[in-house]
Amino acid sequence: MSSVHFPVYILLILLTTAVTIPLISNRFKNSLKEYIMAAFVVSWVLSFTTLNHVMKNGSYTYSFGNWSQKIGIQFLVDEFSSFMTLIILTVAFLVIIYSLKDMEHEIKDYQFSSYYTLIFLLLFSMIGLTVTNDMFNMYVFMEILSITSCGIISIKHKKDNFLASMRYLILSAIGSLSVLLGIALLYMVTGQLNMFEVSSVISQTWQSYPTNILVSLGFMVSGLAIKAAVFPLHIWLPDAHSSAPTPSSALLSGLVVKVYIFTVAKILFRIIGVEIVAALGIPTYLTYFAALGMIMGSVFAIGQKDIKRMLAYSSVAQIGYIFMGLGLATVQGFSAALFHIVSHALLKTALFLSAGSIIYQKDKRDLRDLNGIGYEMPITMMVFTIAAFGMIGIPGINGFMSKIYLSLAVIDVKKYVYLVIILVSSFLNAMYYLPIIIAAFLKESKDRKNIMVMDKLPRSMIYPMVIVALGCILMGFFPQLIMNVIDKAVPSFLLLGK
Amino acid sequence: MDDLIVKTITRLIIPFIQLYGIFIILHGHLSPGGGFSGGAILGASIVLYSLSFGLEKASKKLSHETSSIIETAGILWYIVLGLVGIFMRGFFLTNRGAGFPMGEAGGVISSGMIALITLGIGAKVASTMITLFHTIIKED
Amino acid sequence: MELIISIIEHINYIAAAALFVIGLYTVLTHSNLLKKVIGINIMETSIFLFFVSIGYVSGGSSPIITLGEKQIFINPVPSALILTGIVVAVSITAYSLSLIIRLHETYGTIDMDEIMALRGEKS
Repeated sequence: MSSVHFPVYILLILLTTAVTIPLISNRFKNSLKEYIMAAFVVSWVLSFTTLNHVMKNGSYTYSFGNWSQKIGIQFLVDEFSSFMTLIILTVAFLVIIYSLKDMEHEIKDYQFSSYYTLIFLLLFSMIGLTVTNDMFNMYVFMEILSITSCGIISIKHKKDNFLASMRYLILSAIGSLSVLLGIALLYMVTGQLNMFEVSSVISQTWQSYPTNILVSLGFMVSGLAIKAAVFPLHIWLPDAHSSAPTPSSALLSGLVVKVYIFTVAKILFRIIGVEIVAALGIPTYLTYFAALGMIMGSVFAIGQKDIKRMLAYSSVAQIGYIFMGLGLATVQGFSAALFHIVSHALLKTALFLSAGSIIYQKDKRDLRDLNGIGYEMPITMMVFTIAAFGMIGIPGINGFMSKIYLSLAVIDVKKYVYLVIILVSSFLNAMYYLPIIIAAFLKESKDRKNIMVMDKLPRSMIYPMVIVALGCILMGFFPQLIMNVIDKAVPSFLLLGK
Repeated sequence: MDDLIVKTITRLIIPFIQLYGIFIILHGHLSPGGGFSGGAILGASIVLYSLSFGLEKASKKLSHETSSIIETAGILWYIVLGLVGIFMRGFFLTNRGAGFPMGEAGGVISSGMIALITLGIGAKVASTMITLFHTIIKED
Repeated sequence: MELIISIIEHINYIAAAALFVIGLYTVLTHSNLLKKVIGINIMETSIFLFFVSIGYVSGGSSPIITLGEKQIFINPVPSALILTGIVVAVSITAYSLSLIIRLHETYGTIDMDEIMALRGEKS
């Protein structure tokens, strides 16, 4: 039993919770955590029902206020957006359970409720950005997302956080302004703001205005590339993701950069259309920068000493993989990119949560201090090992399946150079993940003997880590569960309106 | 600051500023302006009062908790008005189909839901300006 | 002569492009953080100018209906969109100014070069 209004209900529940958290934390201090959990569970159930409904009955559009398509705001609820909404809510649910205990030692007490207000606004804008079908609505949600994601970095009052957040804010503002300029140029040509209308007008008249569309695409893609941390424009990412509190890093690295990639895919494939984009030559440029990012991200990560900074540089390399799949502009390439988005969200969340547990219990961030830590914190290091094996590409974990799909897509368009680059990048991944695992389990620590004891972590921190690691292994052995949904989502995305 | 001229002029001018702000909010559906600009003018009048009389006297007139409650109430008012549309078997944010009084074009009571939403937005923007100003000035 | 006429006709595009480039230059080269924030504001102003000037219909008047007369109105949609954009710009400016206050409290300076030098000799 599902109704057409459920996507709007999800957004409204998240917005209401975000706005009423300050009031509740003034009156009923003790029930804040139960309130947050209840809101999450209700939205997760609504999102799951929507996905089932869409998989059985097909996609539908939801027009606000029943205005026609030419003048109103519209949401497009199809397999792609409902599936991604479910993934966002699931990963965020696990990270929030982890954060209920972890944030107590990172921020002060009176900031606790403000942090959760920011998190709920962040989720509201991410889900809005996934389902929207209107260009200016997309810009507004992008701005809410950029301000709240800077907010969850700078909520910890340390020197590095302020500087990282300031740099992220300035670069992000330049990116948003480029996107707005691109939207203005497209509005000048077509006179509509709805994505379906713009696509139908452009497919008829693009021969008369090729320069205008090319300039507008250039501004929009480079603005979104700043925010999605494609290789040369990634300089804000290491500082921001390494100095933020652990749940914020997990959310930022796993979900926020991915939502900007969805927006690039929507602009390239839904508004402009695959044929025009391929005729303008844009996908080739994307693959050049993606290949460069895959190599250079790993090269920078090898020389890092801080564990979170190394994970942040590893994110840059993995985003290169996703853009490579996007830039091939075929059905198989896009499916491989979507599968890697889901698997990287799970893997990077597991890595950041286990790194955060090490910092919580031992207060050590340096890679050279981690000798013998596998015997003090066995569950944490098992989760880290599973996720690291997934990143390298060892069979049985979902990272291996996504590399297989990506290699098959590359072979299909006969560009074998990129196959070699994928293999070299996997080898470089091994070069900086394996030393940590070897040091944790096989080396002797200086101040204690290697006897296995249990981790001294609260239960609300252990359970999410283990669930995410089990999810990675499950996706590695049964990738059809996810690929079935993706195989239905991609053709309707690429060939829409034809 | 402790200047006699500033205090006297502020006490004389603030009612006119607030009247102008309320006028812009109420005529949001008839003339340029609407919620954002009217709310900014209302907020600016309270900020002027804080600047010339000091922070403690301004907190007695409009305390921090009151402006937090007005902020939350603004958004909840917007959501409730949108849900009326779903309740009356339409979509979210339906105007004529949900039974809001339409009136005649050009009058103050016209265009149904837009006037009510403008009131909510005006209150929220004004209280946001005040909260932002107090947070930046407070130096704790 | 045609060059001058075409410059005067397209003056809004030239002004928007010039302001955008001036703002981008200010953000990238000046090291004072307040000047970077001002540079972002100049860039935002240029884009608002561009967006609003697209909606002009030649011979039209302001889009307020007075009953009984049939007129040509300019396009009111860009003005409404830019109202939202101005609010977004104000909130970004407010947030970045409060970050600058915090940076000044912890580092003692608001100059980006000096902050990087302080970070470099610390780590």
